[in-house]
Amino acid sequence: MQPVVKHLYVHIPFCARRCAYCDFNTYANLEDRIEPYIAALCAELTLLAQEQSQPSHDSPLAIVRNDYLPPTARVSRATLQPSIFFGGGTPSMLTLGQLERILHAASALVPLDTAEITLEANPGVLLGADMAALDYLRGLRELGINRLSLGVQSLHDPTLRVLGRTHTAAEAYRCFAAARRAGFTSINLDFMFGLPGQTVVQWEAALAEVLTWGADHFALYALILEERTPLAAQVMRGQVSVPDDDATAAMYEAAMYYLAAAGYAQYEISNWARIVEQQPISANGHGLCQPDDLDSSLPALACQHNLAYWLNSDYLAAGAGAHGHVYPQRYANLAAVDAYIAAVQAGRRPVAEWVPLTENDLYAETMFMGLRLNAGVSLAHFRDRCGVDLDVIYGDLLCELAQTGLIERRAWGVRLTERGRMLGNQVFARFV
Amino acid sequence: MHEQNRIRNFSIIAHIDHGKTTLSDRLLQLTGTVSDRERREQHLDAMDLEREKGITIKAKAVRMHYTASDGLNYECNLIDCPGHVDFTYEVSRALAACEGALLVVDAAQGIEAQTLANVYLALEHDLTIIPVVNKIDLPGAHPEQVAQEIEDVLGLPRDEVILASAKEGVGVPDILEAIVQRIPPPHGQRSQPPRALIFDSHYDAYKGVIAYVRVVDGVFPSGARVKFLGTGAQAETLELGAFRPTMMTLPELGAGEVGYIATGLKVVDECQVGDTVTVADNPATTPLPGYRPAKPMVFAGLYPVESNAYTELREALEKLKMNDAALSFQPESSAALGFGFRCGFLGLLHMEIVRERLEREYDLDLLITAPSVEYQVLCTDGEIMVVDNPSEMPEVSKIASIEEPVVQISIITPSRYIGVIMELVTSKRGIFDTMDYLDPQRVLLKYRMPLAEIVVDFYDQLKSRTQGYASLDYALAGYQEAELVKLDILVNGQPVDALSLIVHRDFAQSQGRELVEKLRSLIPRQMFEVPIQAAIGGRIIARETVRAMRKDVLSKCYGGDVTRKRKLLEKQREGKKRMKMVGNVEIPQEAFMAILSLGEKKT
Repeated sequence: MQPVVKHLYVHIPFCARRCAYCDFNTYANLEDRIEPYIAALCAELTLLAQEQSQPSHDSPLAIVRNDYLPPTARVSRATLQPSIFFGGGTPSMLTLGQLERILHAASALVPLDTAEITLEANPGVLLGADMAALDYLRGLRELGINRLSLGVQSLHDPTLRVLGRTHTAAEAYRCFAAARRAGFTSINLDFMFGLPGQTVVQWEAALAEVLTWGADHFALYALILEERTPLAAQVMRGQVSVPDDDATAAMYEAAMYYLAAAGYAQYEISNWARIVEQQPISANGHGLCQPDDLDSSLPALACQHNLAYWLNSDYLAAGAGAHGHVYPQRYANLAAVDAYIAAVQAGRRPVAEWVPLTENDLYAETMFMGLRLNAGVSLAHFRDRCGVDLDVIYGDLLCELAQTGLIERRAWGVRLTERGRMLGNQVFARFV
Repeated sequence: MHEQNRIRNFSIIAHIDHGKTTLSDRLLQLTGTVSDRERREQHLDAMDLEREKGITIKAKAVRMHYTASDGLNYECNLIDCPGHVDFTYEVSRALAACEGALLVVDAAQGIEAQTLANVYLALEHDLTIIPVVNKIDLPGAHPEQVAQEIEDVLGLPRDEVILASAKEGVGVPDILEAIVQRIPPPHGQRSQPPRALIFDSHYDAYKGVIAYVRVVDGVFPSGARVKFLGTGAQAETLELGAFRPTMMTLPELGAGEVGYIATGLKVVDECQVGDTVTVADNPATTPLPGYRPAKPMVFAGLYPVESNAYTELREALEKLKMNDAALSFQPESSAALGFGFRCGFLGLLHMEIVRERLEREYDLDLLITAPSVEYQVLCTDGEIMVVDNPSEMPEVSKIASIEEPVVQISIITPSRYIGVIMELVTSKRGIFDTMDYLDPQRVLLKYRMPLAEIVVDFYDQLKSRTQGYASLDYALAGYQEAELVKLDILVNGQPVDALSLIVHRDFAQSQGRELVEKLRSLIPRQMFEVPIQAAIGGRIIARETVRAMRKDVLSKCYGGDVTRKRKLLEKQREGKKRMKMVGNVEIPQEAFMAILSLGEKKT
C-alpha cells in the first residue's frame, strides 16, 4: 500500500533582488504579481487536493510528532511527520495574510496540526518588512509555522555583499534572536563555504562564532558556481577568486569537526541537527537499532521535509517551477510566473512536464538520495520503497564499492564511510 | 570540344588566407560556370573540415568556358591544389597537370615560405607564372612593394604583375585575359596511345574511385577499359567527363583536356595520385614522370576509447583509406590501450584531419598516441629494424646505432625574428644552413633538422614566437645517426607503453621532467595518490605526483533538483567514459598527446 502523500513543497518565486550565486527559479521586481500569484497558488493547491484520493489523515498510519521521535530512531518513510516547506525565492516577502491563505488551501492536503511547517526566510527581507520583525515572526508562529530556515550564508559582511545578499551578519543575528523570542524552537541556519576570498581560518572563526548562537539545525553548503550566474561569470573573468578544492575540502572537514564538538549530529552530507536529550539506547519500538548504529541514526531535530526527499518519498509541489514526485511520475510546473498564473486561471494543473519514472529510476534515486544520509540505506527502507531486495538489484555493485572503501555494508543495510562522504559523487554516479 | 590551342590548364598557388578561394569563386562566377544564384561561397572547398581549417585538402578541377577579347572561346581548367607542407607531393602532381599557374600574394603580407616552395615547384615543371597581388583594397596593403618583392625574389618582371582584389572583383577580368594570352596551350599528341596523369582521386559510393586526370596524349573514349601503369591495376571506365563544377559526362577526353574517369574501383590505393592511366587495348608503355607511391612520414597509434569499438574503428579506417591513399594503418596492440592501429600520415595536419573525420563522421571516441617518425635501428647482430613505434624499440644493449629521418626546412621571416628562430631551431636540434635576405626586412633561413622535432610542436611554436609572421616549408633530406634513447613513462608504478617516446639523449632529462609535469596537470585527481615517473632504461629521471582527490560531492540535493543533479552525475559518468583505464588509473585522451604541448609555457 502506498502511504498517502503527506509532504508538500510550496514555491515562492519572488526576491527583493537576485543573489549573485543563485540559479533558482525566482524573480526580482515582480512584486505586482504576488497577489495574483497567491490566488493561483491557492487554486493549484485546491486542484491538487481534488486529484488526491481523500483518505482521512487520521488513518491508522502512525504519525509520530517531532517531539516524540526517539533520537536514535532508524529512519523510515512511515515515521516521517507530514510536512510543508515554503521555499523560494523569498517566502518571507509574503504577508501573514497571504501565508494564511496558502496554508488554508494546503490544509486539504496536509494536516496542519501535526505537520512540520518550514518557512525559508531572508534576514534582510525580514528586517526590511513594513512590520516589525518580531511581530511578523510571532505571526508566523501563530499561523502554525514551526520551523524557520534563515539564509545567513556568511558572517563576513564584504562577502555577503559580493554574494548579493542584502543583510549584514549583525542583522542575521538579530533576526535569529527575534525568531527565538517569537517562540521558534526549530531554527535552521544556512551557511556557505568555499566563498570568494574565504580562507579556512576565516571559516573556522565564523563557525566558532555562529555556534554560540545555539541554533537547532545547520545546512552548510559548498558554493556551487552555477552556469549563467553573475558570480560564475565574475570567477570566469578572474575578477573574483574562490578557494580551490583542497581548501574547500578542509573547510568541510573543519565544519564536521566543529559541529560535532558543539553537540550537533551530522545526518546528511550538508545537514546537522542539535542533539537533544541523550537517551540511553534501548529497545524503542523500532527495534532496528543496534549499538553500532549510533552514528547512523537520526537526530530528533532533523528536517522532516528534506528527509522525505532523501528517502525518495512521494511529495507534492505547488507554485511556479516547483517539482513534485509521486512515483511513477515526476512533474515540473511552469517556471514563468505569468504562464503559471494563466494556466491555473484556465482551470488546469500548471504542469510543464510530466516525467515518467522507471523501476530503475526508482532504485537509482532511492540509492543516491538515500546514501546522502549518514543513516545510509537500510534493507528495510529499500524494500519498503522499491518493493524488492537491495541485494537483488545492487548486490554486485555494492560489493565493488565496498572494496573501494567508499561505502560500508552492515547487517541492516549500507552507508557511506567517512571517506565516501567526501567523495560521494564517485558513489552516486555509479547508480545513475 | 576545344582544339588544344583553345585549352588553358592552370593552377593557383597561394599561401593560406591569401585569397585563393575567393579568386576561384570570382573566376567561376565571371565565366558563368556557376550562376550567381547557385554560387555558394567558397565553391571549391567542399569538405566542411576544409572550410573550418581554411585550407584546401583535396585538389579539385573545374572547367570554365571563357570568351576572350580576341572573340574566341577558350576552355580554361582550374586545377586547385593544396596549400600545406603535408601535401607537397599532391601539389607537385597538380602542377604537373598544368601549363601555367596564378601566383596569388597578399598585398599586406608579401611572399611566404609556402608560396616560395610552390613557385619553385611550378618553375621546375616549366609553368608560366602569372603573378597576382591580391587584397589591394585592404587598409594595410602595399601592392607596389609586394610587386617589387615578387620581381626581386622570384625574378618575375614587375610589369607582369596584376593588381587585384578578388573580393571586390577588381582585376579579375585582367587575370582571365592573362590566362588566355600568357599561358601556353597544351601540346599533346592526339594520335599517340593515350596517357593521362592522375592528380587526385576520390571515392564515390556509386561510381567507385573517380580519378581526376589530365590527358597528356591520345584520346580516352567513354567505356574503354583503362590500365594504371604504376600499380598495374585495370578497370572499366564507367563514365568520363568534366567538372562544371558538378560532374558532366562527355563522350571522350582528348589530349590536353582535364576531367575525370569513374573507374568502379573500390579503393584509391589502386589509383594513386601521380600514376599514369592508359587505355588497356591501346596501351602506352612509358609512364609520365614523377610517380611516387604515397609515403607516410608521421606515425601514431589510434585506439578506441571503448575497446569494443575496435571493429568500428577498423571499418572507418578502411572507408577513409578508400579516399586517402596516403593513409596507412595496421593493427597493433598496447599493454596500456589494448587493440588499435598504427597509422601513417603525411604529416601532423593530415593526422589531425584523419582523427577529426573519424570522430565526426564515424562518431568514434579515439585515443591517439604521440606522433613518431620512422627510425632505422642497426642492431648489434647486424639486423636493421624499422621502428615507428617507440614501444617497439629494442633493448639498449641490442642497439648498435639509430638513424632518424632529417628534413631541410625553409623559414621566411621578418628579420627581427632571426634571433628567436635561431634559438627555437637550436633547441630542436636544428643545424643552420643558409640565410638569404629577400629584401631588407625579410629573410629566408634554411636548416637541417630531425623530422621528429618538427612533428611535435615546432610549427605552432614558430608561429607563436614570431607572432604568426614566419612561414615554414620542409622537405625530406635523408637519414642521419643520432644519440637517441627511449623515454618511458610510469603511471602509478606501471610503465605505460603508449606514453613512451624516442628522444635525444641530451634532451632526455629536461623533456622527461617537462612531460611528467604536463601529465600531472592533465591526469585528473583519482581517489588515491598517483605517482608519474619518467625513466630511461629503468632509471627514474623525473617524478611528479597527482594528489588524491579530497572532495567530490554535490553539497546540495533536494527534491526539486533531483533531475538536474542526476544529469550532473550522468555527465560525470560520461566524462569517465572518455578516459582510458590504465591499470586502475583513469587517463584522459589529452595525456597521450601531452608531448605535443610541451614547451608551451616557455612562449
